[in-house]
Amino acid sequence: MKICQVEGTLVATARIAGLQNRRLLIVKERGASGKQVAVDPVGCKPGDWVIAVGSSAARDAAGSKDYPSDLTIVGIIDYWDDQIGRAGGSKLETADAD
Amino acid sequence: MQISRVVCDLVTTKRAFWLASKPLRVVADHKGNLDVCVDPIGTKPGDYVITIGFSAARTAAGNPNITTDLTIGGIIDHWDEEIWRN
Repeated sequence: MKICQVEGTLVATARIAGLQNRRLLIVKERGASGKQVAVDPVGCKPGDWVIAVGSSAARDAAGSKDYPSDLTIVGIIDYWDDQIGRAGGSKLETADAD
Repeated sequence: MQISRVVCDLVTTKRAFWLASKPLRVVADHKGNLDVCVDPIGTKPGDYVITIGFSAARTAAGNPNITTDLTIGGIIDHWDEEIWRN
């Protein structure tokens, strides 16, 4: 699974029938330069840090084996501090200081 | 899925059986790298599209037997080239 940040929604009216009317989001993988498009069955908003699954697991995660997705969001990370690069952020920082 | 721009049409008369008669397009990513993909929608050069890779590309082509690893999934309505490059 990859850690990504949601940048915004993507509108594509002309699409293949298999994609149905699912929500598509523009996401940026942590540490990568390019943007990617992910299917969002969870309901994320721009700025959220999320985890996304790729390849064939993305099809199952999107709801069915026939769904043509190669990147699907499976969860929103509750706390993420990108500077530290690990979950927990300031909470863990204070724990270390003690 | 990746965001790409359609560059041109691609014609191959002699092809593998399970590529069938699917239309092919050349697409470029944000760095300018070229790829060939199956086009089930009917796009024209200059369109910004979503491309589906891996095994999902075969389902997206309309038949899981089609031997492709990249298929166009949709045309993006509004897209800013500057956001794409950075």
